Amino acid sequence: MSVAPARALPSSPPVSRLAARGGLKAGERRVGWIFMVPALVAFTAVILWPFISALGLAFTRYDLRTPEPIFIGLANFRAILASPQILGSFVTTFVFVTLATVFTVAVALAWALILNQSFRGRALLRTATLIPWVLPATVAAFVWAWIFNSRFGVLNAALLSMGIIDLPQAWLSTSAGAMTAVVITKVWISVPVTTTFFLAGLQSMDREQIDAARVDGASDWHVLRDHIMPHLRPVLLVVLVLAVIGNLQQFDKIFALTGGGPVRATTVLSIEVYRLAFDSWDIGMAAAVGLLWVATIVPPAFLYLRHLLKDA
Amino acid sequence: MFELSQRGPRILFGLTTVLVGLFLFAPIYWLLISAFKGNSELYRIIPTLWPGEPTLTHFSTAFTRGNLLVNLKNSLIVSGGSAALNMALAAYAGYALAKFRFAGRRMLMIVLLSAQATPFGLLLITIYPSLVAFDLLDTHLGLILASIVFALPVSTYMMFSYFSQVPGELIDAARADGASELRIFHTIVLPISIPALVTVFLYAFMWSWNDLLYSMTLIVSEEKRTIGPGLLLNYLNETNADWGGAMAASLVASLPILIAFAIVQRSFIQGVTAGAVK
Repeated sequence: MSVAPARALPSSPPVSRLAARGGLKAGERRVGWIFMVPALVAFTAVILWPFISALGLAFTRYDLRTPEPIFIGLANFRAILASPQILGSFVTTFVFVTLATVFTVAVALAWALILNQSFRGRALLRTATLIPWVLPATVAAFVWAWIFNSRFGVLNAALLSMGIIDLPQAWLSTSAGAMTAVVITKVWISVPVTTTFFLAGLQSMDREQIDAARVDGASDWHVLRDHIMPHLRPVLLVVLVLAVIGNLQQFDKIFALTGGGPVRATTVLSIEVYRLAFDSWDIGMAAAVGLLWVATIVPPAFLYLRHLLKDA
Repeated sequence: MFELSQRGPRILFGLTTVLVGLFLFAPIYWLLISAFKGNSELYRIIPTLWPGEPTLTHFSTAFTRGNLLVNLKNSLIVSGGSAALNMALAAYAGYALAKFRFAGRRMLMIVLLSAQATPFGLLLITIYPSLVAFDLLDTHLGLILASIVFALPVSTYMMFSYFSQVPGELIDAARADGASELRIFHTIVLPISIPALVTVFLYAFMWSWNDLLYSMTLIVSEEKRTIGPGLLLNYLNETNADWGGAMAASLVASLPILIAFAIVQRSFIQGVTAGAVK
């Protein structure tokens, strides 16, 4: 392996193996691709090919009664347009994504500003903040299902004793209650990592700029508005886009918490596709809804990609 | 760095600290103490804020009655296998993208990064029949292979960011000595990349350990079930919900991931935020 061909001729300058055949450029091309092969094979097998073939299935009838997919053009999409239920899941997704994103970003920003103050125990608090994020989806769903429990949940107990409600609420059995629960659970899981992004952004903040503003007599509010927020703008954009993508894809916590119910109150697109594919075994329809689902993710994904590739 | 000077903002700040702090940590506290409460104390309209008579009953029933240990073992196999595979794939690919200029490199980056946006549920529609075709449905190997979906794109990007910072002189010096490219990667680059490798391993491990969608769809038999669907099916049937047991089993299921996270949290956070924030 390590015997260099150049050794045979001691007078010639050493030539690296990379450049030995066809020069350095060709060598880089060859070896680069060889290193890529394992990941490319895996990537094609589990992501690229499933993705493309799923999109293809959107134009077929493929269900329990049709063992092989049959091309039917846009019929699935016409069926979607004619189905108030499926159209409803687009609305549900929009409501969920909007609420979850707005609250996640707002809470995380506030928490990042707090964790950016200097106080004792800050490092510990920063680490502890990440706990909700590392918990398994089922565990997070359990914790909140127990808090929201209609008979013995601590939320009802707290609201009752504060006099905010007169009777225990069956949170997970009403449309608004279930949506509130899934949004709160998702915000709880997303705030930690979003806070981390904001903190990373705050780290590069120029201290002197704030000190100078202070000397000029800027108030707390002005420092925040005129110096900190402009500095956080690029991070804010990334965080927003990532939150939208993540919320559009969310499945596990909603499924574990409500299963998409009551009735269809929390059936977002991810649950819709899952139910169509694995409860009704209507693969064609599942793929068609999935294609539209992807279409909702493309715009935020494009923004994110453009940001990442700026200097790659 | 942003010390508050006025009274109003300070009060607002203090209030927000308490509210957000409660929101983030009270649920964890509630999970903890609920697991140690006996049933008579657990099922009260107005609950106690501290277990009056702490008990380990829920833990002992969790271990003896359900399949918790089997679920844990299965999760360890699947998450460990998937994380190792993911780490290896991401390392080679990240190195190629960082250190070689080859045609199609930029295109590959774009495809890889856009993959992050593909919804896992959509891929599952075609992964499922593929696993059936290869006789891999309801096997740990099948789930391991499918779980690559979660972490491969981001892992590759994480390794790419890391390798981009490895000095090219190090590699060129080894090349001048006549070492082969594979040998350079294995004996020089990889040993100094262990922190990045560990981060990527744990990132993938976490995804797989915490997953519900793939593990509940691609594993059918009870003895092969992993922890996510295991918990859900063991503890939350509509008729009898055993909340004490659910909380105790949740703690046990979270422990491995929490310990792993505690060990590497610093480099982990850096790895995850790398690239997204500049």
